[in-house]
Amino acid sequence: MRLEGRGLSCAYGPTDALQDVNLVVGEGVLAVFGPNGAGKSTLLRLLAGERRPDRGSVLLDGVPVSAHDAGWRRRIGLVGHRSGLYGKLTVSENLKFFASLDGAAESGRVAAALAAVGASALASRRAEALSRGERQRAALARALVHDPEVLFLDEPFTGLDAAAASALEEVLSERGRRGRIIVLVTHDVVRGKALANRVAVLSRGRKVLDCEAAAAGVRRIVDLMGAPRPQSPGSLGEAGRRSAGAADGSQSARP
Amino acid sequence: MLRWAWLIAVKDLRIEFRARGRFLAMIAFVLLAGFLFAVSLDRTRVDARDVAGPLVWLVMLFASTAGAGRAFDAEDEAGAFRHLLLAPAPRPAIFLGKAAANAALVAAVAAAAFAAFALFLGIRAPGALASHAGVLLPGVIGLAATGTFFGRISAHSSLGDTLLPVLTFPLLVPMMFFGSTGTARLLMERPWSEVAGFVRLLWAFAVGSMAAGSLLFRHVVDD
Repeated sequence: MRLEGRGLSCAYGPTDALQDVNLVVGEGVLAVFGPNGAGKSTLLRLLAGERRPDRGSVLLDGVPVSAHDAGWRRRIGLVGHRSGLYGKLTVSENLKFFASLDGAAESGRVAAALAAVGASALASRRAEALSRGERQRAALARALVHDPEVLFLDEPFTGLDAAAASALEEVLSERGRRGRIIVLVTHDVVRGKALANRVAVLSRGRKVLDCEAAAAGVRRIVDLMGAPRPQSPGSLGEAGRRSAGAADGSQSARP
Repeated sequence: MLRWAWLIAVKDLRIEFRARGRFLAMIAFVLLAGFLFAVSLDRTRVDARDVAGPLVWLVMLFASTAGAGRAFDAEDEAGAFRHLLLAPAPRPAIFLGKAAANAALVAAVAAAAFAAFALFLGIRAPGALASHAGVLLPGVIGLAATGTFFGRISAHSSLGDTLLPVLTFPLLVPMMFFGSTGTARLLMERPWSEVAGFVRLLWAFAVGSMAAGSLLFRHVVDD
């Protein structure tokens, strides 16, 4: 399976959000980095088919896709900046609703999706009563409930505590190993690089790096982003610590 | 198509039932309107039945307008509409589901209005209730469809809910005229043959607005 963006350009009024971006996403995780306003979320919207590019096209295995195609929509899952959950419904009802729309209402799916992100205890709670991190976990479960082949994640680690972030890392790694496509947009270079097979960096709407994750050091990515260096890896999950050590050319300095 | 519409309608009604605020506000409005007319109407000069018909339709109009706005508020609250659009449900099914939920609420408010005005204005609804339902039903459908379609447009607009009545009320003037006249005539115990023409026009509007809304909804929600 291969998702491809060809010559993607998109503007909001006079502002070019994305300019002639070419990207090939194979099975596994593609991490997309970039400073604020680099065009990461726009790229995600174009790849998901939510928005039509002004120029260029998105193809899955060589076939053009768009959000007008119900078959394509059934194959994707998305986690955005906002939870996308109905506040007056419980987490379980939210997931059942979206699973039913996707034709995936078999019993056990909701429980399995919640368990995958460590959110089983949230099932009977209303979405409006959840904390930021709990809402994020519930949103992830919603995106996973129909077992999508392509998963788009926009800053999925925001608001997650260390345990939940580790659980998410595990979910994404496992899906990547199963041959699913995951496009991960994040500011967290260390964690994103550790999870990814491939990384891309956007800056001012242009792609400035696109390579195997192993070939890109954290410092190079950060330099391309023009952002401050990442914090000590001490506060990161297991994958983050491994990656930070590798990027520095050493293991963690601490025992 | 209908399966998706059903799922969306049930979801909207469940949210509405749990929020309760809008429905209770409408019922309070109905009771207040009935009470005010009951105490202020000089019944030696005005037949309450002449007033009750237009009043029921006015309440339905407000209910549909408020309902459409609120239905999309719940969708936009946490960005859920984005995910609804990314689900494989066809756009017409989303429209039909949301319009059906709105229609159910408008129908409930219309029934409450009928009961309240009968109580406060001392109106005995003559003949079969089916006759009144026959006039109200196409009105409920037409109001719900129009409100849902333009509700989405106004939710997108910077003017928000202010825009909704501006867009819908001019379109709804003919339907309000046919409907309120039909209901008033039934209350005056006129024969069905006198309202049958109005009912046909109401059904034409209801079917037309549902069809147009279903066909055009994707142009409103997709870029």
